[in-house]
Amino acid sequence: MAACAPNGTLPTPSTAPHPSALQLLFESHPAPPQHPAHLYHLALQIAHNLRHQHNWSDVRVYTHSPTSKAVLPRPLVSGLPPQRLYVHPDEQIALLQRQKDAGKTGMPELRSEREWVLPSHLREKWSLKRFGEVFDQIALVPGAGRGELLFGGGDGEDTAEAQEDNEWRTTKRLLLATLDDDSTVVYYIVHDGIVKPRQN
Amino acid sequence: MASSSAAATVAEPFPIFTVAHKYILYDVDTVSHARAAHNITGVLIGGLPQAPQQNVFSGIPLELMPEEARLLVEKGVAYLVDDVKAHKDGVLGGALAPEERRAFQNALRKHGAAAARDAERKMEERKKGALEKKFGSSDWNDIPEDMLLSTGKRGAKKGKKAGSRTPVPNSAAASGTATPAEEVESLFTPVEAGPASGPPKTGPPRAPSVASSAEPTPFAVTPATSTPPLNPIPPPPQEELPLPDVPSSYPLFKHLHEKSYFMSPGLRFGCQYTAYPGDPLRFHSHFLCSGMGWEEEFDLLDIVGGGRLGTGVKKGYLIGGREPDDAGQEKGVRTFCIEWGGM
Repeated sequence: MAACAPNGTLPTPSTAPHPSALQLLFESHPAPPQHPAHLYHLALQIAHNLRHQHNWSDVRVYTHSPTSKAVLPRPLVSGLPPQRLYVHPDEQIALLQRQKDAGKTGMPELRSEREWVLPSHLREKWSLKRFGEVFDQIALVPGAGRGELLFGGGDGEDTAEAQEDNEWRTTKRLLLATLDDDSTVVYYIVHDGIVKPRQN
Repeated sequence: MASSSAAATVAEPFPIFTVAHKYILYDVDTVSHARAAHNITGVLIGGLPQAPQQNVFSGIPLELMPEEARLLVEKGVAYLVDDVKAHKDGVLGGALAPEERRAFQNALRKHGAAAARDAERKMEERKKGALEKKFGSSDWNDIPEDMLLSTGKRGAKKGKKAGSRTPVPNSAAASGTATPAEEVESLFTPVEAGPASGPPKTGPPRAPSVASSAEPTPFAVTPATSTPPLNPIPPPPQEELPLPDVPSSYPLFKHLHEKSYFMSPGLRFGCQYTAYPGDPLRFHSHFLCSGMGWEEEFDLLDIVGGGRLGTGVKKGYLIGGREPDDAGQEKGVRTFCIEWGGM
């Protein structure tokens, strides 16, 4: 394959490398005007990571608050993890007690719950105020069917089932997704208030 | 102090002594009261006389964090006392009548003499016991002199001991001879131009006074407490001392304390405070806390590091600060808990 044409011009488009899956995602979802493109692309990259590395389904991206309809400080993502992501320690105790009463051991199968995801980049500076602003604009549980669907993949049944309220979910929480330049993404749960830690 | 359990009552407000920008509680009753009634644990910093090398379990005094001292003062249950000034006023400032002073000095001297006698008696008993063990006779006057002057190492040691025993019963007595009763006389007179430079009891050593030949030299007793003669609870000072300086994390400290968390220093987990849901003797801590200003910027790496460490030790990483209202008024403290996502 000739890298350059004989007259020294750049390679023709037909010889350029194929764009990556991520790049194709960016191209197929042009950034809406409410947010800077880099924040929208950050959300897309996190969503891509959730779908393809962590097997989340029904991943959606939001530009407006589901509660106040105002523009969000930055695009947010929500999705359905393959297993339950967070079990409150009190819920865990209750579940284990129920299992014991039923003569079984171990944790029962739990239905998955939809989670908020806050995309961020490691090079950003954050403050308490910015966390507060994000929490003020989200509901306790991300409702299904809102926002822009990026990836399906769920069987639909899960989605409907997840809408049942979990009585133990009483504090807003989100998953802080932090991206680094090497495309590593780490996920940390952030609660809006004092929530006792899990004993895992 | 077995009597200082729940039965002991501590009058509020109680004094917090400040020395060299530290906030100190000396009284064990006050220490347990602050812990039981106000969820303030502080840190015990006193070495134990029987185990001065170990530093895992310490005794009184109790050092308070500036946050703890400020909280107690703000709640009105404690007041600050400048310890140096209180001592100076109490000892040098004519707070003691001359006869009171004399009585106190005599008591000290008596105490020292009793201690010296006691040490002497113990020494004799030990010597007697050792001789009895070695020669099977308690009457060591029968033993010929040359048996005591052995050429062996043990004998030499013994001889050395025996030689030094009369003037100096033990090492404590060595210092006793240098600072005998006469120094007690000088304790309460301003001996130097700058008596504020230290507690008044550290006057220059005086020439030894001659003790009676029958009695061993009295030990110089440095009382472990200054009460008596000082009033154990100095009254609140006329003009209030300024509140302790606290870091910007104080609102978070206060907020968690109001929610009846016990707070202790967080250095061992790389944070500002560790928060316990109850008394630290009964509970593991729940949170590693870092307080900050509402708009203070931080690196996300701090969140990741704190969250990771916290989850690794079964705790949550908690950040928080005071949230101002839109009108600039205080809205209260808002906190966020961070745990590892597990993915």
